Amino acid sequence: MSQAHDTKSTSVQTERKLVKREVDILFDGTFEGFLCVVYALYYEGIVPLSIQAIDEYQPSITQEEQFIITDNDRAHKVEKAIVKKISHDIARRVAYAFLADTTDRYVNILNYIILGFKVGHMVDSHMQHDFVLRVHKFAREVGREAHKLTGFCRFAETAQGIYYCAITPVHHVLSILAEHFSDRMIDQSWIIHDKRHNKAVVYNGYDYTFVEVSPDSEPPVLAGNEEFIQNLWVTYFNTLAIEARKNPKLHRQMLPIRYRGNMVEFSKHI
Amino acid sequence: MDFQERLKTLTEGAKYDVACTSSGVNRKGKRGMIGSADACGICHSFTADGRCISLLKTLINNYCEYDCQYCVNRRSSDIPRASMQPHEVADLTMQFYRRNYIEGLFLSSAVIKNPDYTMEMLIKTLSLLRGEYRFNGYIHVKAIPGSDEKLIQKLGQLADRMSINIELPSERSLTHLAPDKSKPAIITPMNYVKNGIIQNKEEMKKFKNTVDFVPAGQSTQLIVGATPEADSRIVHLAQGLYKNYKLRRVFYSAYIPVGNDTLLPAAPIPTFDTGTGLIHKEYGPLLLREHRLYQADFLLRFYGFTAGEMFKNEEENLSLHIDPKCHWALRNLEKFPVEVNTADYMTLLRVPGIGQISAERIVKARRVSKLNFDNLKKMGIVLKRARYFITCNGKMAEKINFQPESIELRLTDNNAVGPYSQMTLSDVASA
Repeated sequence: MSQAHDTKSTSVQTERKLVKREVDILFDGTFEGFLCVVYALYYEGIVPLSIQAIDEYQPSITQEEQFIITDNDRAHKVEKAIVKKISHDIARRVAYAFLADTTDRYVNILNYIILGFKVGHMVDSHMQHDFVLRVHKFAREVGREAHKLTGFCRFAETAQGIYYCAITPVHHVLSILAEHFSDRMIDQSWIIHDKRHNKAVVYNGYDYTFVEVSPDSEPPVLAGNEEFIQNLWVTYFNTLAIEARKNPKLHRQMLPIRYRGNMVEFSKHI
Repeated sequence: MDFQERLKTLTEGAKYDVACTSSGVNRKGKRGMIGSADACGICHSFTADGRCISLLKTLINNYCEYDCQYCVNRRSSDIPRASMQPHEVADLTMQFYRRNYIEGLFLSSAVIKNPDYTMEMLIKTLSLLRGEYRFNGYIHVKAIPGSDEKLIQKLGQLADRMSINIELPSERSLTHLAPDKSKPAIITPMNYVKNGIIQNKEEMKKFKNTVDFVPAGQSTQLIVGATPEADSRIVHLAQGLYKNYKLRRVFYSAYIPVGNDTLLPAAPIPTFDTGTGLIHKEYGPLLLREHRLYQADFLLRFYGFTAGEMFKNEEENLSLHIDPKCHWALRNLEKFPVEVNTADYMTLLRVPGIGQISAERIVKARRVSKLNFDNLKKMGIVLKRARYFITCNGKMAEKINFQPESIELRLTDNNAVGPYSQMTLSDVASA
């Protein structure tokens, strides 16, 4: 597949061209902010040349730019409209696709939503459109990575009794993981640190919050018996493989190398 | 022996049990407890042989009274012996679970004293874990053949999944190799569990506070290659188990000899080729056979095939050269090609190379526009095999000779058999 990755070359399919102004659309980078962009474009008919989050924006002198202010009421309205006019599943797919770490996601999702408003839940049948396939791909990749990490996250107990986990995911999967682990490790304080995007989610046993983390923060000091438990796990892991069945190719397929750096059974040798 | 050594010994004894799935039940987290369960299952790691690790798979002890010839823990086997206390198992499970190493526990045991005593040990461990340790994650437990119905009932209320391994696919092999076990001792508890699940579902409808009984169903394992049973017998047996005992899964385990034994095929000399990363050469054909059985198993469970269809014309074994679905399609070429724009879902599923996801995508996409080969490709449908068996708007893909011999030659996966045996012309003729 050879889609145009350059956001500026992808045109936005909007029917209601009330105001014909070609601008770079900027927003704060949050999902709510993006929904407000949808609102502005769909209901007010602005045609964007590109959609970019403010912190990734590269200004150019020839173009006009417009910042869309995030308004939670508006965002909520759009979200409700997606569920009502299209479907629940598609609202979820949009939310997942938004977490993909690619530059062309905003325009593709926007086109997907606009087509959805037109044809309803049948939008997924329109696979002749590249943006439908793109959005499916984003959502699938995000979902897959998040699912893998629900298994591959490795927590270590710190001296303060908090369980700390470092990950380096391609996509912004932290919010999905937060949902999963706040249910599973409900009575335990934990932190998941996304080292690639310099963000973390902190759970205190009741609620979780997202925080920015400086790239040169120190790794935490671990609890006294952490070493012992880790050794037990590595011993268990090494014992479980059956020599006669060894199959490194399959191993790489099931557990890609990029995840292994953060997993104690691969980084520790005993 | 220190704890680490004991864990190692007991894991050695448990690892030939291939089942390590954590699927089949959805359970939300609960305040005051720890853990949840996800119906799709979560793999937490993978061993060097590419198998998923989702559970802490271990034994309470490996001092076995029985002498089953295929089993590493048999009485006559010369291995170190160890045991763990219930609180040690529970504690380790919690430590691993809190670090997200595992999805839960898979607990089994060698038969100590007698089946009932062993079952009581298992119940004690699980009660401790569910009670005192407030563990709400996944538990898979092995029931001991020949144990009392009441104990199975009790164990089933503590676990998510229960399994009783059949291991040997015929009664003859069982009496020959596992003199302490009998067919009724295995089948009777399977029946208890099946009826228990049905009864539990009925009670759920009537009473609000019914305790779950084996909510993720039961499974079993069959050893392949230790005894002379053919694939046709194994697949028919699996079909019967799915149908009559409502099993969720049947697992197949290629027999890997452990220790010396005159009753069973001897171990080939191990020569693992690290350079090419190929799987163990001597075990290659057997592992491939295991793989084919899993493929046949999926055809039974998800693709609407019956065992009878797979073994028409007195065929005894699945082909190693070609997967069972392709094999079936080539023997039934009059049912093809299938028109993707009109064929129903179940017919699409029978096309080699089209699985559930592809079939669903096709059905969805053709509602709005006719599909051609380019569309299929773009939608991510893999046409490597499918292109020989489908038409788009009445047209076949280019350059296809619709003859069974020609298709078979193109589809034969030489890499799968690879270094183990070179296919000859007479193989093709006789296949």
